[in-house]
Amino acid sequence: MSAPDFSVEIFQNEYLPVGAREVNAIVTVTSVDSVASNQPAASAAEIIIVDCSGSMHGAKIAQAREATCLAIDAIRDGVAFAIIEGTVDAVVVYPGKRLMAIADDRTRQEAKASARRLSAHGGTAIGQWLRLTRELLQARTDQLRHAILLTDGHNGEGRRRFEAEIARCEGVLRCDCRGVGTDWDVGELRKISTALLGTVDIVPDPAGLAADFEAMMQSSMAKQVADVELRVWTPRHATIRFVKQVAPTVEDLTGRRTQVTEQAGDYPTGAWAAGESRDYHVCMEVQPGVVGGPEMLAARVSLVHSTPDGPQTLGTGLVKAIWTDDEPLSTRISRQVAHYTGQAELAQAIQDGLEARRRGDDATARARLGRAVALAHESGNTDTASLLANVVDFVDTATGVVQLKAKVADADEMALDTRSSKTVRVKK
Amino acid sequence: MPACPDGHESAAADYCDVCGLSMAALATPSSPVAAPPTGPCPQCGAPGLGRFCEVCGFSESQPVVRTVAAPETSWTAIIHADRAYYESVLAGGGLDPSELPFPDGYPERRIPLTGDQLRIGRRSVSREVAPEIDLTGPPADPAISRLHAVLVAQPDGSWAVIDPGSENGTSVNGSEVLVGDSVPLHDGDSICVGAWTTITIVAGLCNP
Repeated sequence: MSAPDFSVEIFQNEYLPVGAREVNAIVTVTSVDSVASNQPAASAAEIIIVDCSGSMHGAKIAQAREATCLAIDAIRDGVAFAIIEGTVDAVVVYPGKRLMAIADDRTRQEAKASARRLSAHGGTAIGQWLRLTRELLQARTDQLRHAILLTDGHNGEGRRRFEAEIARCEGVLRCDCRGVGTDWDVGELRKISTALLGTVDIVPDPAGLAADFEAMMQSSMAKQVADVELRVWTPRHATIRFVKQVAPTVEDLTGRRTQVTEQAGDYPTGAWAAGESRDYHVCMEVQPGVVGGPEMLAARVSLVHSTPDGPQTLGTGLVKAIWTDDEPLSTRISRQVAHYTGQAELAQAIQDGLEARRRGDDATARARLGRAVALAHESGNTDTASLLANVVDFVDTATGVVQLKAKVADADEMALDTRSSKTVRVKK
Repeated sequence: MPACPDGHESAAADYCDVCGLSMAALATPSSPVAAPPTGPCPQCGAPGLGRFCEVCGFSESQPVVRTVAAPETSWTAIIHADRAYYESVLAGGGLDPSELPFPDGYPERRIPLTGDQLRIGRRSVSREVAPEIDLTGPPADPAISRLHAVLVAQPDGSWAVIDPGSENGTSVNGSEVLVGDSVPLHDGDSICVGAWTTITIVAGLCNP
């Protein structure tokens, strides 16, 4: 199999003032459409996990059945799949036992018949659901491994058990999480989606589940390259301050480093569809060089794909550092770096503000959410700005003066919380 | 295996895979502002090597005083108060003419462009800003920032202007200079800053 093509572009100001150590760069990674679409399809496995706890009774379970059927229809022929019923236990309702089926017309029909019999009964133990999902996938050798997890309530397990199960799933599967209604915990699902490189979102009205499930499955079916790592080489004595995905959402990958050599580490990026593009912000500290000295390579950023024949490099970009006493050169801030620094601050300001609001610390909530309003407007992040408008009244958007709304719908607050990490891309 | 400027052996041929230094640096300095670390002293021409010239003490980290080669064009900045520009600022509504009237007398000044860069701005003792093109006045144009813009010598001998982020902006021939952009200058170009101050750049003019 020939290597899929990725382009790696670096945006930075490589000129640093005398004595400066911090180097910042935005890395734009794009999987090149025309080449990747010629690739033979990688083997794939999909698992749909449906919360069948008692609270799902009524419209939620009815809509979850329909949504599951639509997702099943979106599974490509030849893909391994299974449907898991989640309560205090986890059961493979289709194909049964501890197996996975291979998608074709017959198995899809059978799976839909099983999905229509899902009923609400019992409790919620999300760690158990993840454990069964992982075991099903580990029994196979599929390259692309993905799950959709739906819940409507708080996890009933102990926190340590829950977190241990998530940790065991890292690198085994990607998981997109959805919370239906407003009685679930954003923090719990975000833990899963962050660790398992997926998305998290709220579906306030069960009627919205069907379209959302279908879209998630289609997006997963579009993935062609599995397990791509962002490899960052740095010079000796350099340290990484952070590595973050900054578009389409902010995800801090700093703690996810796997050391490869003394000077290089890998950060997981998950699976890629053809034509997909993401931005990463890398920040490192290097030993300052001399003015007029040779140019320094502050980081070599590569995309690495593990294959049975060993790691394969899919693309490389160079982050440079040149020390100068020329102030106009060194004080210039890269537009891309400035933009994404603002977007990361925006996500943090929203989470801080909502946290303060829950604590009853109105002054901090006003200040942080006000800052978020100013950042959202300044950067043209209109989606986030309109979510903020459901929680605060804008007095002055430019300076970020806001009033907290006296009454906020739970769904609005949770939507702002789950979607706070969505960013807008820098205008080219 | 090739060795980098610091003497590490490197398998990579572009940048040292130990310290990251450019492997090409010694042969061809790539930094536009860097003095070459080897070869004759850029200031006095003595065949000294290393970071300091043995003859004149020139340090490679200080800006090279450009010794203009004979055929090279010399450039001059002519600073004057420009009524047309002032009227256009008034028309833009950003200025109250009663607070900031057009100056009665404004002596035209000519400054030869030398060195690697010339800062344009207003002198500030407290902020230790002493721009080479000092527009402190009188008459004072308070719409000019302390460090408003910088003229930067180009490798081909011409000049460019950069606005590092002035309060009220800079324009060249009426179009706004984006912060951080390097705008190349041609003979006769006018740089407008503040409320009325215009700096016209001319090539091939002898100093008065």
